[in-house]
Amino acid sequence: MTKEISLEHVWVEFGEFTAVHKANLNIAGGEFFSFLGPSGCGKTTLLRCISGFQEPTRGKVKIGGQDMRGVGPNKRPTALIFQNLALFPLRSVADNIAFPLEVRGVDKKTRRKRADELLELIALPGQGDKKVSELSGGQKQRVAIARALAVEPDILLLDEPLSALDLKLRQHMRTELRAIQKQVGLTFIYITHDQGEALTMSDRIAVMNKGKIEQIGDGKAIYDHPTTSFVASFVGENNVLDGTVLSNDGKVMKIDAGLGTPFTVENHPAGGPALAPGDACHLFVRPEALRLSKDDGAINQFETNFITEEFEGNMRHIVMNASGTDLKLSLINDGTNAIDANTPVKLDFAPEMGIALKPGELASA
Amino acid sequence: MRDLFYDLVRRNGMAVSIYLMLAVSLWVFILIILPQLTMLDYSFRFNLPPAKIGGPEDVYTLEQYRYFFQGSGASDGLNTLDIGILFKTLLAAVFVTVFDLIICYPVAFVLAKSSTGAKARLLVLALIVPYWINEILRAFAFRILFGATGVINETGMGLGLWDTPIDFIRQDVALYAGLAYAYILLMIFPLYNAIESLDRNQIEAARDMGANWWQVHAKVVIPYAKPGIASGMTMVFMLTSGALAAPQILGGPSNLWFTQLVYQWFNSGGNWPRGSAYAMVLLIVCIALVLLVMRLFKVSIGEIKQ
Amino acid sequence: MRMKSPTALIPGLYLTLFFAYLFGPLIIMVITAFNSSTFPRVSPWECFTTDWFGKLASDDKLLSGLGNSLLIGVGVVCVAIPIGLAAAITLSQVGPKLRAALYTIFIAPILVPGVVIGLSTLIFWDRIGTLFNAPYESFFYDGTFLTIFGQVTFIAAYSMLVFLSRIQRFDTTLTEAALDMGATPTQAFVKVLLPFMAPAIGSATVLAFLASLENYNTTVFTIVSSSTFTTVLSSKVRYGLDPSISAVAVIIIAITLIGAIIYECRNRYYTKGWAHVIAERPALKIATHPGTVAVILGVLTLAAVLFIQNHDSSVCTAQVLEEKRALQQQLMEQQSINTPQQAVPAPTMPNLGPLGGDEGGASAPSPFGNNIFSPENLGTSAREGN
Repeated sequence: MTKEISLEHVWVEFGEFTAVHKANLNIAGGEFFSFLGPSGCGKTTLLRCISGFQEPTRGKVKIGGQDMRGVGPNKRPTALIFQNLALFPLRSVADNIAFPLEVRGVDKKTRRKRADELLELIALPGQGDKKVSELSGGQKQRVAIARALAVEPDILLLDEPLSALDLKLRQHMRTELRAIQKQVGLTFIYITHDQGEALTMSDRIAVMNKGKIEQIGDGKAIYDHPTTSFVASFVGENNVLDGTVLSNDGKVMKIDAGLGTPFTVENHPAGGPALAPGDACHLFVRPEALRLSKDDGAINQFETNFITEEFEGNMRHIVMNASGTDLKLSLINDGTNAIDANTPVKLDFAPEMGIALKPGELASA
Repeated sequence: MRDLFYDLVRRNGMAVSIYLMLAVSLWVFILIILPQLTMLDYSFRFNLPPAKIGGPEDVYTLEQYRYFFQGSGASDGLNTLDIGILFKTLLAAVFVTVFDLIICYPVAFVLAKSSTGAKARLLVLALIVPYWINEILRAFAFRILFGATGVINETGMGLGLWDTPIDFIRQDVALYAGLAYAYILLMIFPLYNAIESLDRNQIEAARDMGANWWQVHAKVVIPYAKPGIASGMTMVFMLTSGALAAPQILGGPSNLWFTQLVYQWFNSGGNWPRGSAYAMVLLIVCIALVLLVMRLFKVSIGEIKQ
Repeated sequence: MRMKSPTALIPGLYLTLFFAYLFGPLIIMVITAFNSSTFPRVSPWECFTTDWFGKLASDDKLLSGLGNSLLIGVGVVCVAIPIGLAAAITLSQVGPKLRAALYTIFIAPILVPGVVIGLSTLIFWDRIGTLFNAPYESFFYDGTFLTIFGQVTFIAAYSMLVFLSRIQRFDTTLTEAALDMGATPTQAFVKVLLPFMAPAIGSATVLAFLASLENYNTTVFTIVSSSTFTTVLSSKVRYGLDPSISAVAVIIIAITLIGAIIYECRNRYYTKGWAHVIAERPALKIATHPGTVAVILGVLTLAAVLFIQNHDSSVCTAQVLEEKRALQQQLMEQQSINTPQQAVPAPTMPNLGPLGGDEGGASAPSPFGNNIFSPENLGTSAREGN
């Protein structure tokens, strides 16, 4: 059984401070949904509204169509996996997993049986009698998931559960989490500030900033067609140029960014609000969209000077300067694309790779 | 109050919240506040036989406080004896407090900054163990030590430092030494806690920049440990001025501690209102003194910890 | 690296001096418990004796006081621990303003002189008793109850401090996790918070019990006509110094040391590094187990008790007595030479006090010496002037 969740005009205010600003969204049953945003953007507050630790100041949280106002966290069909996991240090692994059953008055034998089943599921069979402190980071992670599943929740909430792990393990756990989700078929709501996690695991992502949901969409839409400057600059790396819209015929725009010939940029149906001639704009071009010009006179061409290069093995990250603006350029290390540090270099990008958006707040690096 | 209770219920459930509220209010009202208020009330009454209590003569009066200031004398004369005892007690308590601070500071510092692991734990245990031994017995030990044929007199005379036994008891030396001994622990632990949390690097940085050892203490450690010093001094001062056992056992026959006056009015004097008034005087003067000193050193009472 | 200068020795030297101040008086007191001199002192050393312990065993007042003290201690623990725990939990859950106010109230009983607490408790319950017209036998006037109330007032604050330092390390997400897993708030309290507090409850109990046992300032008022171990000791000390008090100290110090040793062993036994060393050596593992240590100490204590019961110092005390008598005789003779007008002293028994010296000197029938009545009593009491 899975249940859909809807947030209807949810506001959370702490005195003067607005933690969540009119959140509206629907999450379908069985979906892997992520909230992505910098720390302090309100994503954890929103999660606490869903789990019941926080009541919204205004608006409704509905689970399976039912208004959850006044329903305590212990009465909601949700299970939360805490950032620090919150495993009970004084209980054994099995007693941790069986805790939800224990408080529901399930007898000891059944409890133990269920705990063993779940240990099987998370690939830790026979480790029930260990102390929590004897487990490794990844094992603790899995025990926390097993404990949450023991509640037989409709919705699993995960609050940055991978942030304490090292890089390798984190990447491994991403795959594992996704696999578990597919296996149990529950709705997962995942909170993270790590875009890699959000992009790899989620069906859909909500990007948040300062209490507001900036954009909701799948990973590809968020990355390729951000609708606000914040999303464009927060998700993935992006070069930003200040410009002015010269013309917009509905299909393409001409934008003057002060780098010689005006740039031609395509409008996209999934993109941000349309811009009119005379509007100021942010023009975003991803480092991998910039390329070394093969021939002179290509579309969207401009001249730059070499500043520095960071070598990453498979990729080369190069910083170039165009009339005072630093631009990043990512090139595949395939032996071609040599750059002479002492002569100006011409760069260009395809019209469909440029994104023009209304100027707005940019994510700080 | 109602919101507070709802908040507690939301967090802990009904049964636990009732326990919390009940236990705390029992303590605060029945054990702390009401008895103090009753004593305050008592101190404004005449000492009447039980039959007359509640009768027409049972009215409020300042008589008991007047007695403290003026004695039994009719009008003008000051009760120099009792006021003198109060001053002597406070002065001695200040002396004991400062003495404790001076001898404990180096110990706390060495303990906090130079000892680690098992050694530190053993030192701490060595500090605590003497305090598991009864207060009376500790005072008794000093009585033996400072007696006319005690170890100190015997050693002193044996070394030819003095010829006839010195009466340390009458001189109050035994009393001060015993009082200082009694509350050493209460001075060391706040100091230790405060100094321990000081980052070692700060001391080393100060050294590195050319501060000598006393500058390190005067400019880095002591300012940092100020809350600990304040709480240690407050505890030692309050407990010393309120001590009863040590003065009774170690005090000279003619030198009384102020608490002994309270005790006398209460027990042998059978005058509860006057005992209450004297206790109030002690309490108020001590608290006023502590608050004054705290104000001077800019420390708040919330920082007092054990 | 500079050479270690002699000033580097100062901290060690200072610590030595400091601990000498801390332990010196106690050590001297312990020694006096084994000197047969009727005044507690180290020199002149007369005889090694264990008689003072025997004298304690027959001190009914002290024993009944001890009984009361233990009863009161248990009562104080039962009331003060729940209160302290409730106070600490409440402090951890209320807002910062209320917390500051409550903390000031909670901490006040530690700073208020014990005398004031004792007095106010006594007066308050007397008032309440009068209000209800309670008979004098009711608990409003009962020393044991009053003392429990009086001591709880400040001992609850001590235990609160213990709980507070533990609860500050509590991860509140554990409670949230329990709630999220479907536990009721009460279940979360019982199954998560309480087990976490368990070690603190243990140490607070020990602390509260010891604090109750040794309290004097409050108890001396609230105990009314009854007595506790400490009040009996105090009156003993005030009305005459006597080595049997040192003997009490020896017993308490022995118990304390045994407790401290077991505590330290337990600590070491359960720390990681130590466990690693003993893991492969089963013999060492058994030998260092706190239980084993406790048994060894128990056997030692038993041996000490047996030794105390069987040690007979009567021969030595008799000899000392004899010497004293000879000295006294000599003095007396000298005196009679100096003052010839006085009658020649009787050769047998000069003024030796009511019971004379013969009995104490010759046979000493009971194991607990008769030296209470020995003539040196006269000498010392005259000198000490108690």
